[in-house]
Order: sequence, then C-alpha cells, then structure tokens
Amino acid sequence: MVTFLDSILGGIASGSVIALMALALVLVWRSTRVVNFAQVGQAMFTTFLALAVYRGTGSWLISLIAAILAGAILGLIVHYLVMRPVRRQDGSGAIIATFGVLIALQASASMIWGVDPQTYPPIVDIIGYEAFGRTWPFAPYDVLVLGVTVLLVVILSVVFTKTSLGLRMRASAFNPTVARLSGVRVSQMLALGWALAGSIGAIAGVLIAPTFSVTPYSLDILLILAFTAAVIGGLDSLVGAVAFGIGTGLVLSLVSGYSDSGNAPIVALVLLALNLVLKPQGVFGHHHSRSV
Amino acid sequence: MLRIENLSVSYGAVQALKDVSLEVPHGLVTAVIGANGAGKSTLMRTLAGLEKPQSGQVTFNGEVISGRKPEDIVRMGVALVPEGRSTIPELTIEDNLKLGGMWRSHAQRSASLARVYTLFPILNERHSMRADTLSGGERQQLAIGRALMTGPQVLLLDEPSLGLAPMIVTQILELVARMAWDSGLAVLLVEQNANVALRIARSGVVLNLGAIAGSGTSAELLASEELRHIYLGTG
Repeated sequence: MVTFLDSILGGIASGSVIALMALALVLVWRSTRVVNFAQVGQAMFTTFLALAVYRGTGSWLISLIAAILAGAILGLIVHYLVMRPVRRQDGSGAIIATFGVLIALQASASMIWGVDPQTYPPIVDIIGYEAFGRTWPFAPYDVLVLGVTVLLVVILSVVFTKTSLGLRMRASAFNPTVARLSGVRVSQMLALGWALAGSIGAIAGVLIAPTFSVTPYSLDILLILAFTAAVIGGLDSLVGAVAFGIGTGLVLSLVSGYSDSGNAPIVALVLLALNLVLKPQGVFGHHHSRSV
Repeated sequence: MLRIENLSVSYGAVQALKDVSLEVPHGLVTAVIGANGAGKSTLMRTLAGLEKPQSGQVTFNGEVISGRKPEDIVRMGVALVPEGRSTIPELTIEDNLKLGGMWRSHAQRSASLARVYTLFPILNERHSMRADTLSGGERQQLAIGRALMTGPQVLLLDEPSLGLAPMIVTQILELVARMAWDSGLAVLLVEQNANVALRIARSGVVLNLGAIAGSGTSAELLASEELRHIYLGTG
C-alpha cells in the first residue's frame, strides 16, 4: 500500500512535466501538422541558457523568465529558418527536419557547455514532506511543478476558448484556407504557435532540471514520454495531452515502483503501440485519420 | 466594380484560364457557367488570392488585387465562399461567423452579425451549437454568413448548389440576389447548374476549357440554342 501511494505521488509530479512537454508538442501539431521532435532539444538549450542566467544573477525567477523568452525566440528561429523553407519543398520532410534541428541543438550545446552533468538548483525544497514518521515522495517542489502546470493549462484554455486570438489560432489550425479567406493572418498564427510551444517547453525544461541533471541529452527520455502522451491524447487535444501526460507519469511511476525503473520506457512504448492499434485517432482526437 | 482583364492561370503545363476578361457590376448577380473542369473554380480562387495569375490583372475600384494574399484581398472587400461548405465543423456556429472580419471594429462586426442573423434566422437559433450539427443547406448559409461578416462589396460564390435540394438552392440564391440589389453588393456566382444561375443572375458568361465562350444577358444565354447544346448540356 505504501509503495502504491509512493508511486502515485511520485507519478503526479513527473507526469506534470510530461504533460507540459506534451502540451508543447500538441501546440505545434495543431498549428503546423508537424510533430516537432526538436522540442526537447529546444527545451534543453533554453535550460542551459537559463542556468547561465541563474549563475549570473542568482535569481531563479529571472532565470525562468529568461528561459521563457529564449524558448519563444528559439521557436520562432526554428519556424522561420528551418520549417517554413522546408515545408515549401515537401511536407513530410519537415518532420525529418525537426530531427536535424534536435541533433544540431544537442551538438551545439555539447560544444558550448560540455557533456558533463550540471545541476540546476531548485527554488523550493526538493526533499519530500514528512508525515506519519516517514518521508513521502512529494516535495514542496512537486507542488510548485503541479501548480505551474495547472496554471498554464488554465491560462491556455481561457486564451484558446474565450479570446479572439484563440479563435484565430484554432481556426488557423482546423482550416487554414477558410481562416485566410476570413481575413486571418494565418502565417502569424503559426509563428505564434511555435513561439508559445517553445516557451512552454522551456518552462518544462527548467522545472524538470533540478530532478534530472542537465546535459545535452538528459531530456531525450522526456521526448518519448511526452510523444506517447500527446499521441494517446489525440495530438489535437490540449486536455488530452495534459490528462495523458499525468497518466503516463502515474503508469511509469507504478511500473518503477513494483518492478524495475528500467522497464518504464518499454511500458510507455507498449502503451503507444496498443493505442495506435486500438484507437489510432487518440482518445481525445477527432475522427479524421492522420499519419505521422 | 470588379474588373478582370486578360487573366490567365496555369497549373504547371496545364492552362486553366486563358485570357479571361469580365466585369462584375455592383447591385447585380453575374453568373459564370460552364461544364466541370471549365476553369470556374480556378477563376474564383484566383480572384480571392488562392492562386497566382500567370498574366493579366484583376482590379477592384481601380486598385490591383491580383497577386495579393487572400487575407489582404478579403480586407479590401472581396470575399469568397469556396466550393463545398467552407465552414469549420469543430467550431460553434457563432465562432464560425465571428471568424469573419476580425480586423473590423467592434461596432461594425456587431452590425454585421445582427444582419446575418436576420438573413439566416436558423443560425441565430443554433448559434452555440457546433457547425457540424447543421444540415447541408444550413451550412451553406453559415458559409455565406461568414463571408458577409467580412463586410464585402464583392461576394464570390463558388457552386453554392452543390449537393443541395433545388428548393433550398433557389431560396438561398434569391436571398443573395435581393441582398445584392438592396445593398449594392456585386455578386459573382459560379454554377454548373446553368438554369438555376441564369434565373437569378442579370447577365453571365460561359466558360469552356478555360476561355470565355460566350456572354450576354441571362435571357440571351438561356435562349441561345447553341450554348445550351454545347456548354450547358440542358438541350
């Protein structure tokens, strides 16, 4: 029973970060119909930048803001310099190009910051709460991560469903031609989608950094987990990304708790395969077919 | 007035429009008829900015619009209702309408919305429902309503009759013709169903293999035996 509770508590926090990264993938997918495999590379890069800012200023909050800004700028750079020219040539080439961006970012980070693991200090205590004579695997830091995730999801939902900007972004994603004929500057909406995804990925990177060590490759596993969550959630659905992001965190935590933590990624891939066989449009997805 | 001068469009080696010239006056419906593949939709898509012309130009009130982006052309007052119910099924009916003309002032948009709801009361009744709950005819009304929300001076209607019952088509087109007359809107109506189009329009042109094969008032076109046999298939 204690293992079960531990696993659930541990899963919620790690699931929150998976959810954020899945959210970033969904934002890019919705606006450009591209799965951005470079998303974790962008997040890793901005986390290194934020770490440099932290060391310079000593302020965690300033480093987070730096990451958010850098994430947006990096998203725009990838969109304008890589995705737009590539997509003009060939739509499926764009997905391959995101791998190219990932490799380029990882190689650049290795050259600039080296491959030795670096530590990103947490803003609040990372040691679990103590109650009933034991330390639980749920720390003030996990509360912060969960809180930021919930806050971001609420803000995004309000922007998407209640504002005219959100309506323009949704319309651009669903039917760019009709959106343009209505007078929406769809190319701006696409750029905004990449910037927003970059910022959210950057927040996920900074939030997960204290629990991982920061290296150019440390977020790779997060890509697999976030991709799984986003696909099971239906790729189009923000709610699906968050629900299955946290769900993936819980499942992995339970698997690690009851067997070996090395089994977790395998379980994620099995879930992904099962989903593609049983419900290929995703649980929260729309009914048209899709291919990745 | 929308003026099309010597417009040619090609897709690679295929010439879709050849040297098309046409004027669309305000307050009236002008019909473009012709068989499948005659270049009717290409003409509409080019006017709306979705295709780039190879040569020739389109001017609206003296300003060149050909070669501009669709989002700029619609802001200048030329709105297209593309073929096949151009609504966004995942959005509510009201959101579909609100999408049109977001650059306009709040007052202008409220006035347009009220007008669309008066023209098409069914859209008002169901405004909070998703667009995919509407029938084909209702969705066509929504598509026209969205275009009207942009405050157009020229309305381009591409095959509004496609897949609709004849009675509904007549209803919608009569409404459009009345609206054109009342508000000075210029309407260019593309139709495969020549009888329907020419009953509504004042004048028209016949497109054949991308070129204009005949023009005249609707009465002249309907009376022309030759055109009926060769291009309209109604003889």
